[in-house]
Amino acid sequence: MTTLSNNDIAHAIYLVSKDKTNSELHDVNDKVIKFLARRRLLSKTKDILERLNKIINHDNGKIVVKVLSARKLKESPRKELVHFLKERYKAKKIVLVEVLDEKSLGGIRIEVNDEIIDLTAKNKIKKLQEHLTRKI
Amino acid sequence: MSTNYIIENLKREIDNFSSQIKAEKIGHVLEVFDGIAKVSGLSLIKSSEMVTFPNGEIGVALNLEEDTIGVIILDDFSKIKEGDEVKATGKILEVPVSDNIIGRVVNALGVEIDGKGTIKADKTYPIEKVAPGVITRLSVSEPVSTGVKVIDSIIPIGRGQRELIIGDRQTGKTAIAIDTILNQKGQNMICVYVSIGQKDSKLRKIQTRLEKGGTMAYTIIVSAGSSEPAPLSYIAPYTGVSIAEYFMDQGKDVLIIYDDLSKHAIAYREISLLLRRPPGREAFPGDVFYLHSRLLERACRRNKEYGGGSITALPIVETQAGDVTAYIPTNVISITDGQIFLETDLFYKGIRPAVNVGLSVSRVGSNAQIKAMKKVAGTLKLDLAQYRELEAFSQFGSDLDNATKQQLERGKRAVEVLKQPQYAPMVVERQVVVLYALVKGYMDDISIDKIKEFEEGLINYTENNAKKFYKEVLETKTWSEKSEEELKKAIGDFKNNFLKS
Repeated sequence: MTTLSNNDIAHAIYLVSKDKTNSELHDVNDKVIKFLARRRLLSKTKDILERLNKIINHDNGKIVVKVLSARKLKESPRKELVHFLKERYKAKKIVLVEVLDEKSLGGIRIEVNDEIIDLTAKNKIKKLQEHLTRKI
Repeated sequence: MSTNYIIENLKREIDNFSSQIKAEKIGHVLEVFDGIAKVSGLSLIKSSEMVTFPNGEIGVALNLEEDTIGVIILDDFSKIKEGDEVKATGKILEVPVSDNIIGRVVNALGVEIDGKGTIKADKTYPIEKVAPGVITRLSVSEPVSTGVKVIDSIIPIGRGQRELIIGDRQTGKTAIAIDTILNQKGQNMICVYVSIGQKDSKLRKIQTRLEKGGTMAYTIIVSAGSSEPAPLSYIAPYTGVSIAEYFMDQGKDVLIIYDDLSKHAIAYREISLLLRRPPGREAFPGDVFYLHSRLLERACRRNKEYGGGSITALPIVETQAGDVTAYIPTNVISITDGQIFLETDLFYKGIRPAVNVGLSVSRVGSNAQIKAMKKVAGTLKLDLAQYRELEAFSQFGSDLDNATKQQLERGKRAVEVLKQPQYAPMVVERQVVVLYALVKGYMDDISIDKIKEFEEGLINYTENNAKKFYKEVLETKTWSEKSEEELKKAIGDFKNNFLKS
């Protein structure tokens, strides 16, 4: 028997519940829960839901972006950033999750899925250290 | 050095520094064990792409799964923790190469380990490369002189050939390889010795021996010792052949020795099983044939239009109790262009090098043999084959006719002549003279225990009294009737003196 990955299950749930009315959804949810219980997959629901979320986001052109900065972002740079991210990732909607980290010293660090763009002062200093201590 | 000088230098360095902004692909370590890391993320990574860990450790992505990747770690993995950031580099693994590497001992990543300072290198070569295609190749036609009589005469090796050295432990496999390196002095050959999973004491012994023989002027040692993690043993031969390719690209001839590929396969098996790849025969993974074929296929001889140069490969495989039908030996036998089969029985009978002439073959090397050697080797092969046949037969009856007796005697002498001590390679002209004396029957009435003495004396005498013959073989690779007469006379004279004394 081939094993089902969490991603496959999330994808299946997404496909069956797509374009359904509220009453139909209730029925679908019921069936999904029963399926998960029968296959003893309830412990994996957290991961499945996360994946489902990602699939829905992907389909709606929504991207969750984690922004790490030393100080809180002001309105105009934030707008500029959202505009840049929309262009770069061809997304319709950007959800910014802002995290404050004083250790980054300055600048911002953008994390999108498994890509990072590190523009913090901390990173630059680290690069400079690597440059100065490199073997010649 | 004044403080000002240091400050000025620092200022200049900082001025020159510019950091480029780029998007990096990252993942996170899920688990680490036995030189393997499972990493999440890195969704667009390529197979065998290099990744880096926070402390600068290097890894290679081998398993690409749905949402994790399996990475082999090519450094100390004890500092890597769960949750560490892993960066993709977009490159496949590379080793630094330069002419300065000659005479050095490096590890599987091309970093020096002999304590003679860093090796300056301006170029890097990827360790995995597709082997040269048919159009760029040339057939094997130039000899590699190993200096071992039995090999140069009966199982000749050509430049660009892949000849397997196979045998049980302690049968002299490495000895043949080392003798071959020793004999490459002045032969316009660069040697790469790749030590895979060997004891460091053995490597040190080999290194000392090579240094003593003055061979480090053209030799590179690549070592992945048995105390290092399996991933390093796995990549060491590829590193070796990349270094060899660097020299081949300059049009040079290179000899590479893999000592040994059974340990390489075992290291790969370890990695594969840890990566949870399904085990097959003898628990080796399914692609162990490809593991060796893609490595040995990189040995080749390129034609002039593509820069010339060649890589001759001498892989070594260790068998268990002479079993050549095990998985790895059969694989490597079928990949290579012939094998030199060494036997424990022969070794303890005192026949050293313990080459089993019946089972050893060279599929392409005879084209590379020089003409002079071909003339004597043809008869020698026949003599030995007949001897083997009669040897078994003669044990049943004592009444043998004269012709049979003579053949037996000739065979015994041939076996005796082909014995050779370790670290004493012989140049091809001398080999020709000795074998000429043997196959033309000059040794038939010398008693067997005197053969070695006769051989030594003969070389000394003929070198002084048949100079023309030596010179002719060296220059034209064959001999004329005139110089043959000179040699015949010299051998005859020497024999008369020898028998009198």
